[in-house]
Amino acid sequence: MSFEKSAAITRDLSGISREATAFRSHGQPTDQAISEIVRPLSRAEKIWNQAIVRKSLILVLLAIAWQVYAQQLNNPLMFPTFTDTTAALWNAFTKGELGSRVLVSLRILLSGYGIGVLLATVLAALANATRPGNDLLEVLTAMFNPLPPIALLPLALLWFGLGNGSITFVLVHAVLWPVALSTHSGFASISGTIRMVGRNYGLTGLRYLLHILIPAAFPAILTGLKNGWAFAWRTLIAAELVFGVSSGSGGIGWFIYENKNQLEIAYVFAGLLTVIAIGVTMDSLFRLVERRTINRWGMKF
Amino acid sequence: MGSAAPLLDVQGVTIQYKTSAQLVTATWRVGFQADRSDRLVLLGPSGCGKSTLLKAIGGYLTPTEGEITLSGRTISGPGPDRVMVFQETDQLLPWKTVLQNVAFALTASGRASGQNADEQAMIAIRTVKLEKFADSYPHTLSGGMKQRVAIARCLAMQPEIVLMDEPFAALDALTRQQMQEELLELWSRSQFTLIFVTHSIEEAILLGNRIVLLSPHPGQVKEIMDVNLDDPGNRFHGRFDELRDTIHRVLFKDVGDYVI
Ligand SMILES: Nc1ncnc2c1ncn2[C@@H]1O[C@H](COP(=O)(O)OP(=O)(O)OP(=O)(O)O)[C@@H](O)[C@H]1O
Ligand SMILES: [Mg+2]
Repeated sequence: MSFEKSAAITRDLSGISREATAFRSHGQPTDQAISEIVRPLSRAEKIWNQAIVRKSLILVLLAIAWQVYAQQLNNPLMFPTFTDTTAALWNAFTKGELGSRVLVSLRILLSGYGIGVLLATVLAALANATRPGNDLLEVLTAMFNPLPPIALLPLALLWFGLGNGSITFVLVHAVLWPVALSTHSGFASISGTIRMVGRNYGLTGLRYLLHILIPAAFPAILTGLKNGWAFAWRTLIAAELVFGVSSGSGGIGWFIYENKNQLEIAYVFAGLLTVIAIGVTMDSLFRLVERRTINRWGMKF
Repeated sequence: MGSAAPLLDVQGVTIQYKTSAQLVTATWRVGFQADRSDRLVLLGPSGCGKSTLLKAIGGYLTPTEGEITLSGRTISGPGPDRVMVFQETDQLLPWKTVLQNVAFALTASGRASGQNADEQAMIAIRTVKLEKFADSYPHTLSGGMKQRVAIARCLAMQPEIVLMDEPFAALDALTRQQMQEELLELWSRSQFTLIFVTHSIEEAILLGNRIVLLSPHPGQVKEIMDVNLDDPGNRFHGRFDELRDTIHRVLFKDVGDYVI
C-alpha cells in the first residue's frame, strides 16, 4: 500500500519534471502555464482554509455524536442528550438564575484577580528596585507557587468564614504568585539600554514603572496574566463547588452542585458548558490583546 | 567661574567595575575638557573604556576617583540635558512608533507636551529623512533607520550635550558615510556640543575638532589633539592623511616598538 503510494508520488514527480523541461524548451512560459501554477483558490477551498470553519465542524460532529450516544443510552439521569442540555441552558438563562450566578462568579473572580495582580505588581516593582525586595519575592514565590490554592480553603474558611471573603482570599493566592513570578522575570530581562533610555528622559518612580518597565516587560507580564487567569478560574469553580452557598447567592460552581443534588443532570451539563464558554471567551480575549500589543510591537518571543 | 570655564570638565576620572569575582579598572585618571559646540571624539581600541567614560558623563556610572562637571556642577545622575545615542540597536522603545518614540522623549522629559511635542518630533524625524516611517514600529525598520530615529530623538530633545557611542558601527560603509555627513550637517545647523565615541581613526578625523586618544585597557589619555580642519567631513583634505598617520603612530607606539 505504502509502496503503491510512493510509486504514485514518483509518477507525479516525473510528471512535474517533464512539464518543467517542456517549459524550458519553450524559452518563455505561456500564459496558460502560469495560470496553472498560480491559480486563485476556489471559494470552497478558501472557506476550508479558515480555522474557525474547520473547528466549528468538529464541534458540530461532537454534538451529533453526543446526541446519538445519549439517545441510545436513554438515561437522562446519567447522560442527558445534547438537545436536552441546550434546552436546559436556555431555560436556566432565560427563566432560571444561571445568568445571575455567572455574574456572581465573575464579580468575585474580578475582585480576586484585581487584588492579586495589584499585589503582584507592587511585589515585582519592589523586587526590581531593591535587593531585599528581590530576595523577598524569590523566597515567597518559591514557597507559595507550588501550593495549590484550593489547599488553603479550609484555612480561609476558618479565618474569613463561609463567604466571599474566603473565596477572594484563595483567588488572590491563585493569581498573585504566578503573576509576580512572570512579572519579576519580565523586569529582570529588560535590557540595560532600555533602562538607561528611560532614566535619560528623567523618569523615576511610578512614571518609570508605568512608562518603561511595564511595557518593556509586557510579553512576560501578559503570559503571567493569562496563567493567573486560568489558575483563578479553575480555583474559583472548585471553591464554589465545595461551598458556594454563601448568603444565598452562589456562583456557577454552586449552581452545578445544587442541580446535581436535585438530579437535574441536564442543568449540570448546562453549567459545565457555561464554564467552558467563559473560559474560551477569556482565552480569545487574551489572544486579541496579544495581537494588538506584543505581536504588533514585534516583541513576541 | 569666568566664561573661560569649559562646559564639560572631566578631571582625573578613574572608573572601576565591581563584579562578584573581581574588580576591573576600566579607566585610569582620565582628564579632558569640552567647550560649547565642540565635537570631541573619544578614540581608542576596543575595551579601553570609551563606553564607560560616556556612561559616566551620562550619569549612569559614578567615578571611584575624580570628578566630572557640567557647567561647573558635578554630574550626579542621568538627565535630559545629556542625551545618549547608544551603540545598541535596541534603544528605541519597541511599543511605540517612530513618531511616538521621539514625541515621548519630549513629553517624558518635560520639554514639550501634546500637539507641540508631536510637531517638534516630526521636524526632527524630517531632518533624518524618515517622515515616511513616522507611524512604523521600530521592529520593522533596518538597523541604520533605527539609529537615525535615535539620533532624531536625541536632537529633538535639544540637550546641552549629545553623547554618541559608536552610533554608526553597525552600518554598512555607504550608509555610515551618509550618516556622518548628515550628522555634520545637523551640527552646522544647531552647533550642539558633541561627545562621540569611535574606534575608527578616519571617523574621528572626519567628525571631530578635538580628539582624545586613549590607551588600551585600562584607558588612559595618551594625547589630546586639536584637529580644526577648515571643512570637517572632507575626506580629501590635505591634512587628512597626515593626521591619520600621527594618530596611528600615537596609538600604536608601544605596540610598534619592536619594528625598530
Ligand atoms: N558591566 C561591566 N562589568 C565589568 N566589567 C566591565 C563592564 N563593562 C565594561 N567592563 C570592562 O571595562 C573595560 C572597558 O569597557 P568599555 O565597554 O568601556 O570599552 P569600550 O572602549 O567601549 O570598548 P568597545 O570599543 O569594544 O565598545 C573592559 O575591559 C570591560 O571588560
Ligand atoms: Mg563601547
